[in-house]
Amino acid sequence: MMPLLEVRDLVVRFRTHDDVVHAVNGVSFTVEPGDALGLVGESGCGKSVTNLAILRLLPQPAGRIEGGSAVFDGTNLTSLPESALRRIRGRDIAMIFQDPMTSLNPVLTIDEQMVETIQAHRDIGKAGARARAMELLDMVGIPEPSQRLRGYPHQLSGGMRQRVMIAMALSLEPRVLIADEPTTALDVTIQAQVLELIEKIAREQHTAIILITHDLGVVAGRTKRVNVMYAGFVVEAAPTGELFAHPLHPYTVGLLHSIPRIDRAEGEPLIPIEGAPPDLRDKPVGCAFAPRCAWRIERCWTDTPELKDAAHDGPVRLNTDGSGEIDGRHRVACWNVPTPAEARAGRPLGRRLPRSTAGPAPAGEGESGS
Amino acid sequence: MEATTVSGARIGPARRSRGLFRDAWGRLRRNPPAMVGLFLIVSLVMLGVFADLIAPYDPLAGRLADRLQLPSAEHLMGTDLQGRDVFSRMLFGARVSLMAGVVAVAVGFLVGGCLGAIAGVFGGWLDPIIMRFMDTLLAVPSVLLAIGVVAWLGRGLGQVMLAVGITYTPVFARLLRGSILSLREIDYVIAARSAGASRMRILVRHMLPNALTPMIVQGTLSLGTAIVTVTALGFLGLGPPDPRTAEWGVMLTDSIRFLRIAPYLLFFPGAAIVLAVIGFNLLGDGVREALDPRQRR
Repeated sequence: MMPLLEVRDLVVRFRTHDDVVHAVNGVSFTVEPGDALGLVGESGCGKSVTNLAILRLLPQPAGRIEGGSAVFDGTNLTSLPESALRRIRGRDIAMIFQDPMTSLNPVLTIDEQMVETIQAHRDIGKAGARARAMELLDMVGIPEPSQRLRGYPHQLSGGMRQRVMIAMALSLEPRVLIADEPTTALDVTIQAQVLELIEKIAREQHTAIILITHDLGVVAGRTKRVNVMYAGFVVEAAPTGELFAHPLHPYTVGLLHSIPRIDRAEGEPLIPIEGAPPDLRDKPVGCAFAPRCAWRIERCWTDTPELKDAAHDGPVRLNTDGSGEIDGRHRVACWNVPTPAEARAGRPLGRRLPRSTAGPAPAGEGESGS
Repeated sequence: MEATTVSGARIGPARRSRGLFRDAWGRLRRNPPAMVGLFLIVSLVMLGVFADLIAPYDPLAGRLADRLQLPSAEHLMGTDLQGRDVFSRMLFGARVSLMAGVVAVAVGFLVGGCLGAIAGVFGGWLDPIIMRFMDTLLAVPSVLLAIGVVAWLGRGLGQVMLAVGITYTPVFARLLRGSILSLREIDYVIAARSAGASRMRILVRHMLPNALTPMIVQGTLSLGTAIVTVTALGFLGLGPPDPRTAEWGVMLTDSIRFLRIAPYLLFFPGAAIVLAVIGFNLLGDGVREALDPRQRR
């Protein structure tokens, strides 16, 4: 089956007067119809930029797609004329942004913003568009939609605004919904509500979701697959359950050990990931995670590991926990994959020492404070 | 901290369903200096508009027998060298000076706004060309520039308004271009683009209304200085072509020679200019505060 959205080797760079920021360094993933994909990584790892690049919404003129492609339903979005792309934005691929406080225009009423979005793509009268808007607000659980419609964004709470954003994004029944940290700016108490709402409506409309988040807890149990991103690379891609059960990349292992989990033994300490993400202005050499990695070997400093199927590749062991075939492949980009025991412990277990501290001295260590 | 200010500003008008500008009007009304400014301006405008009804004498016809009289019950502000009633001339002068100021700022607002919008939206090679031209205009002192334009286009009230308008063009062009450039990366503009809005639609619906606030503030504040520039041109003899026309700047020029014997002739037009400028500045500051809820009063 042809995937609905296929991103292949996407490279995005920001060029300023004297710097090149290597924001996305060859990211590939696919989204099937009705699928849910999680993109997880810390701030600045390129997860948002990847998705802005898909719709070519990068800040101009600095941000440029310098390689790769994003093919939606047979159409390459990276080379599509702006006018044709405009018809895809919103109608086929819609986005929800992180901060609902700033994603709605403060000087327009909710009605004006929703009706405008609907009318931009549908041949429908104002009254029809308004009726549709009302129906959508009702669907996302906003009480008294007709009254809310007449109001301005500042009269709504953050959670309500995010519901409005969801209603707007889903108003055209898009086939892909990109949700960029949709709950990060919300109170914990309503995060789950909003996530459930997105899930529910997406299921009803058979919309595929790309859920971008820095919070592994958000994707847990919600998305089919997860891509873990680090410094503009996808370092691990796996079915969600598999990723939590058997993380392969040291970064994923680190992430899982740096958050409290209810299924871990009591008294087990949290292990922070030491150091800071690399300066993206430096051209990536070797594995981007090497300076912070406890499992690094000589080779990590010089060769960039590619994302490979874990089951079929040299040193990588994949525990299929006896349940037979796993839904989807588990892929990882690492030269020295932690063993399952090490992954559980969150640190290397007495083998392969001495660790390599040689190789190019971690670039930018002296200037990291700047 | 940011959040507290935002939510703090939201408490007041939260329940009522009203527009941004009506909210601003509510805040403006509770700002005494701004209301003083508004009162001054409305008074001056009213006096100018109803000059025909209020003025006791013809502003152009004088009686030489009554020349250079001190203010009295008969001539509230005295009479000038030709025996014309200064009060009547002040009223008709308000009409000319205020209108010239308003039209000049409107010209600057529209022309500058259009140029700034083009530079900001289309960018590319148009942007530096427009903006360097604006910088050149800005580099020349405004009165000097206006004198040059009047010298080029000839004397006349229309030319004066156009000349002063041109001196305000770069101010508005820079302001709008700057706003548009910063709005390009604002979340709701990106959100609108992600929903498939066209460039024109984004400019008209999303950018201009949000960029309008600083433009309005700048416009109000500019009115005061525009009136000064217009009267300055009149004072320098570049005002209305008919030397009899009642205009505050012209009246100043006419009376300066009689400073020793009739200082009151200088006082009234001077005071009127000062009042108009103070009025527009107070109102402008009030409008700025009213449109920017983050600013504390």
